[in-house]
Amino acid sequence: MANKKVSRQDIAGLLEQWSQQFSVFVPSKESGVAAMTEWDGQDTSFLDWYRNTVVPSKASFLPPMEEMFHFQKGEEGYNIEPPPKTERGQLLFGIRPCDARAMAILDMTFEQALEDPYYLAKRNNAVLVGLGCTNPYESCFCTSMGTSPTESADVDLMLIDICGEFLIEEVTDKGKELIAKTNGLKEAAKDDEAKAKQSKKTAYDRVTRKLDTEGIKDRLLASFDDEGFWEKTAAKCISCGICTLLCPTCFCFDINDEMVKKEGTRFRSWDSCGFPLYSKMPMENPRQEKWRRVRQKVCHKYEFYPMTFDVIACTGCGRCIRLCPVNWDITRVIESVPTKTGVKK
Amino acid sequence: MEQKLRQEAKALLEQNKVDWIIGFEPGSLKFTATPLITRDKDDTGRLVINPFIFNNLADFLTGIKGRVGIVAKGCDSRSIVSLIQDNKVVREDVVILAVPCPGLIDLVKVEKLVGKDRDELDDITREGDKIIVTVEGKKKEFATTQVLFDHCLACELPTPQEYDILLGEVRSPAPNVEVSGENIKKLKGSVPEQRWEFWENEFSRCIRCYACRNACPACFCQRCFVEETEPQWVMPVPRWQDNLIFQIVRNIHVAGRCTDCGECERVCPVNIPLRSLTREMYGIVDELFSFKSGMDKEALPLMAHYEQEEAEDLFR
Repeated sequence: MANKKVSRQDIAGLLEQWSQQFSVFVPSKESGVAAMTEWDGQDTSFLDWYRNTVVPSKASFLPPMEEMFHFQKGEEGYNIEPPPKTERGQLLFGIRPCDARAMAILDMTFEQALEDPYYLAKRNNAVLVGLGCTNPYESCFCTSMGTSPTESADVDLMLIDICGEFLIEEVTDKGKELIAKTNGLKEAAKDDEAKAKQSKKTAYDRVTRKLDTEGIKDRLLASFDDEGFWEKTAAKCISCGICTLLCPTCFCFDINDEMVKKEGTRFRSWDSCGFPLYSKMPMENPRQEKWRRVRQKVCHKYEFYPMTFDVIACTGCGRCIRLCPVNWDITRVIESVPTKTGVKK
Repeated sequence: MEQKLRQEAKALLEQNKVDWIIGFEPGSLKFTATPLITRDKDDTGRLVINPFIFNNLADFLTGIKGRVGIVAKGCDSRSIVSLIQDNKVVREDVVILAVPCPGLIDLVKVEKLVGKDRDELDDITREGDKIIVTVEGKKKEFATTQVLFDHCLACELPTPQEYDILLGEVRSPAPNVEVSGENIKKLKGSVPEQRWEFWENEFSRCIRCYACRNACPACFCQRCFVEETEPQWVMPVPRWQDNLIFQIVRNIHVAGRCTDCGECERVCPVNIPLRSLTREMYGIVDELFSFKSGMDKEALPLMAHYEQEEAEDLFR
């Protein structure tokens, strides 16, 4: 079956149709920072400026904060009141392949390793509509991390820019069903497929930052106790939470109760292993020193996640490099991890 | 200037006058410099001085043991002096390598002016009072007043007053460039309800990464009040009310210590105009106490001492 296509000016119409069934989210700067935001029913100007959002798409399923439940202290213990369920699914329009891959990586923790009802309630009825990159950032290195600017493996539908039009690749059954119900799409011609192929190649070649991850798991394992290396690596880090909180694959969270008199709310919110408080226990903090926290962050992504799930928990989106206040660059760190013989690459 | 810095830094380590050098080396992205913190004299060859040496390096002083040779712009030097006033840094333990600073280039302003992201620009250079931005092979010329950070335009001390080695000609503050930013003017002209609405909006997107606090040399508390759990002063949940409380208390804590280096606003990943608060506080401190932080190392720290005659009845 031939792929469909949609022209740039028809995107609004497409989103309009999908809005009937879903809460449609698009990249927007409306809040003051680029983030997936509920579509206002008109604006498609993101097609001009959008390269990637600052706030990653994980926020749609694991929000910066969410209410887990309300509670009241009754006569015989606590009454728990779950938050109201939202029946409408989210349709994320324009998710980038790196962020979509990150969702697949998060699924391993929140679906395979354990079933997290809060995450899955949102994730399972969501549709991911990918938009291939044409202009990756200087800090992007997705092609070194098993994905690419136009990879379709982790979305339901993938749109590839073919000069004023988008070729629609139908990836999953969910995506196919949605397209079958969608009106006004054109059939793509052979020529369009060729254009898409060229567009993909051009985008791929524009990702110039490369990272060699060969043997990284073993190198990190061997360097775990190399205090000198980690101290040097961590020296300029200021222990803020930017690289973790805004990482599309970082998922650590904190849980807090807020109680006034006899009732309250339990919240879950983003947390970061970069914070000293994260690992603080009543008598001890095993990661009091900054280098131990930096080591944890690096090893979780490039050693522990591969040990558990056989995949590196980094998709090369480059946010941690772009947004870091001190230009602490994960690609430089990974390259500098000593090899087994102790010789730095 | 760069050559002299490299020589001096190398000599300081070689002659065992310092244990560490803190400066800048080229960053990994276009138009970036990154802090270099080293004990190795061979690293000093990488030291740079350019319009992108954004960080306030005084931030690293409280976390380091030993004697330090530190590269300091005017604002960094004021933060160092402020830390000396607060007994957080011993004057004899630092060798200040003073950089007369003509102001740093605000890449966000450049991006807005040329309509391109920083990584899409070919080059940014400074030629006297002009900043030349090359985009797609074409040169565009801007006045420094268009592209320097607001806090640089309002800078009162381009060349450190307190230093050990001066790395260039002393620069005087540019005359009459009191730019407090459009935002502050607008806020001051609005009614409290509008201001409240404005800050609710701004703080709604705060993710509590604490980059503002961690990049700030004046925020030197071993443990910040937001991390206290008994009692819990503020919820760690990023609700706008809690976010605002965090920032207001932070502002009060750094009053008399903030040197208006602008780092809090620059590092914020979600673009909250934090300097609108810190700059206003800086102005209030000056107005009420005729005090400018980090100017005189012999001065007593404003908020850590009091004089009987200035006490109000309430506190007597």
